Amino acid sequence: MPREIAFHGVYMPTVTVMFLVAMVLSWALDRFMSGLDLYRFFWHPALLRLSLFSCIFGAMALTVYR
Amino acid sequence: MTQALHWLKSLEWRRELNGWARSDGVTWIYIFKVLIAAFLTYWIAMRLELPQPRTAMITVFIVMQPQSGQVFAKSFYRLLGTLAGSVVMVTLMALFAQNSELFLGSLAIWVGFCCAGAARYRNFRAYGFVLAGYTAAMTGLPALAHPETSFMAAIWRLLEISLGIVCSTLITAAILPQSSGVAMRNALYQRFGVFAEFVISGLRGDSDPAAFEASNVRFIADAVGLEGLRAVTVFEDPHMRRRNGRLNRLNSEFMTITTRFNALHQLLERLRRRGITPAVGAIDPGLDALTQLLQDFAGRALTNADAAVLANRLSDFKADLPGHVRSLRAEFVKTDPNDDDLLDFHTAYELLYRFVDDLHDYAQTHASLADHNHAREKWVEPFVSTTNWMSSVASGLRATFILGVMSMYWVATAWPSGASMTLVSAATVALSATTPNPRRMSFQMACGTLLGALVGFFITFFVLPRIDGFPLLCMVLAPVFVFGTFLTTRPQWVGYGLGLLIFFSIGSVPDNLTVYNPYSFINDYIAMVIGMLLCAAAGAIILPPNSRWLWQRLEGDLRQQVGFAISAPLRGIRSNFESRTRDLMHQAYGLAAGKPEVQRNLLRWMFVVLEIGHAIIELRREQDILPVHPSYAEWQPWRQAIRAMGRSLVRLFIQPDRHNLARSLYAVDHAIFCVQNSDEPFAPHFDTSPLRRVKSYLHFIRTCLLDPQSPLAAHAPAQAEAQLSQGLSNAS
Repeated sequence: MPREIAFHGVYMPTVTVMFLVAMVLSWALDRFMSGLDLYRFFWHPALLRLSLFSCIFGAMALTVYR
Repeated sequence: MTQALHWLKSLEWRRELNGWARSDGVTWIYIFKVLIAAFLTYWIAMRLELPQPRTAMITVFIVMQPQSGQVFAKSFYRLLGTLAGSVVMVTLMALFAQNSELFLGSLAIWVGFCCAGAARYRNFRAYGFVLAGYTAAMTGLPALAHPETSFMAAIWRLLEISLGIVCSTLITAAILPQSSGVAMRNALYQRFGVFAEFVISGLRGDSDPAAFEASNVRFIADAVGLEGLRAVTVFEDPHMRRRNGRLNRLNSEFMTITTRFNALHQLLERLRRRGITPAVGAIDPGLDALTQLLQDFAGRALTNADAAVLANRLSDFKADLPGHVRSLRAEFVKTDPNDDDLLDFHTAYELLYRFVDDLHDYAQTHASLADHNHAREKWVEPFVSTTNWMSSVASGLRATFILGVMSMYWVATAWPSGASMTLVSAATVALSATTPNPRRMSFQMACGTLLGALVGFFITFFVLPRIDGFPLLCMVLAPVFVFGTFLTTRPQWVGYGLGLLIFFSIGSVPDNLTVYNPYSFINDYIAMVIGMLLCAAAGAIILPPNSRWLWQRLEGDLRQQVGFAISAPLRGIRSNFESRTRDLMHQAYGLAAGKPEVQRNLLRWMFVVLEIGHAIIELRREQDILPVHPSYAEWQPWRQAIRAMGRSLVRLFIQPDRHNLARSLYAVDHAIFCVQNSDEPFAPHFDTSPLRRVKSYLHFIRTCLLDPQSPLAAHAPAQAEAQLSQGLSNAS
């Protein structure tokens, strides 16, 4: 993947876009999990959400910088 | 033996530690969370070479709250507010870059508009308005001399604030979180235990008026506070988000049961004041049964499982009540009571039945919180808050005036520190617009800033030159931040803490390139303190909200809720009426802090308004669901009489005086008379006869108007007492 993306003439790091995409993805995952009430199985839901986000974002960023 | 002693000692020690962990421990954890978040933000901002790392750090101080839900809500609105403020600033700059007078004038109007908005919405939404106001000033004023930098300044500020927000939400949510959801659940569980105790003492008749009023004030504050918490937990927790509708409903139903109970209590008090009459003797057995039922739940937290048990018992109680009442009534009729006593008996049991019914609903809703999905979730009657438009306009005017004066002074004198003075006063006036006492808030902030200036001078010019590296810098800054954060955790010192934290950071926290300039340092701090003191002065002089004109307006608004109950559309009216009245009362009570006689008067008005308004809403509902039959038609005299009574009540509550009270009393008596003389096709039982229910509500309104404890009694003519005893015979 290219490391920078041109957006209307502005060069942006691809990870910035990935950050936004990861946010949307983890939001969708969050809605899904809360819809099925899956959070009751976890000790620290906020930490779980944070970790899930880190995993998603990390996995996506790895495709760029590897 | 020694072992046992040892064990005891360790127990004592542990208990102390637990107690500490639950009170001061929480505060200390919070302080360390603030420190971690602030330094994390500061480090990242310096590492990324943002132009103003301190802005990011100030965001942390402003956004951080002990409970995580509040942090999310505040962050969300801070982001929105900053966006709006930056957009407005860039627009203004594009329009008036060549002419600073026009720019400053429109900025003053914008800040005034935002302050009015902040006073209008008093929860976290207000915070968005505050931010929109002062961000425009914060970014616009320093850039005024170089308009070409303003766009980038806005972008950088947005980035810095986002960084601060991300770090503080992360730290609050991940490290030892104190969630608002748990706080709300505790508050809900405790509230019912307190209420059950209150009901038991009220039904037994052994509560004194002061305790009764104090409990009521507490329930009002609880209702408003829980609504605030509910709005915040939506941001925090999917678990609570799924229960949002039910929590809303629970709060609304709780307000209904308190009003209903107050009505019943008032009626009982009035009957008891007359001594032990046969009517009291006939009513008491029913009350005792309810007291025994509630005894198990008094004074302890009501969990979801407890609520299910309560709902079952109440449903049995409710099913038995009509039969019980019928047998009591048969005995009571044997004593040959007069019409008035019989009406009292009917009204009391009607109110008791409704109270039990509402209590049952409440218990069911509470029990339903255990489920993830529930039919009770569908609730379309939100808590409606209301603000007097005068108070928000006053807040806006004050802000516009302050900013106008500051800008004029700055333009006229060309003082180099005029920009700091203007922007600090914009920030102060915006931050204090949401508090009930802006003068005190501004003054406290000025004192905090002064302290910050002294400490900052010492640190900047004597300590910073001697240290090297980020860890040492953190060690130097930490004591100030700890002290400031500690002050913000104490409600009476919030202003000092905020002033110290924000303005110490603005003036004395170094950027990547540290600038040592004592001349502008001292000048800027002097400008800041002067700006805040002027805000305090303006808060005391220009339409101060905590004074007579506003209480009186709010009292008028409170009274006009009766007009609202009479004329508003019927759909969702009950929770609308209950929440508006309580919200007004809560505001007025806060503004009248330190004036017990004003507060008492407001509270008495609120009781009258709630009781009469509630009875009117019941009357309207009864009339709405009447069966189709000629004796219930619109043109029947009794319905016309009720409409006339409504009009006279509206007049009475707009202008309470002797004539209007006499007219209303006459209208109520007339309505009772008309209802008594109407025929209906059903047996005269409570469950079958609408007219009997209507009559007991009318009787209730009449006793409310004649109550010697109510504020209306001041206007009652001397014959009111006589009328009370003669009653209906007079009207007929």
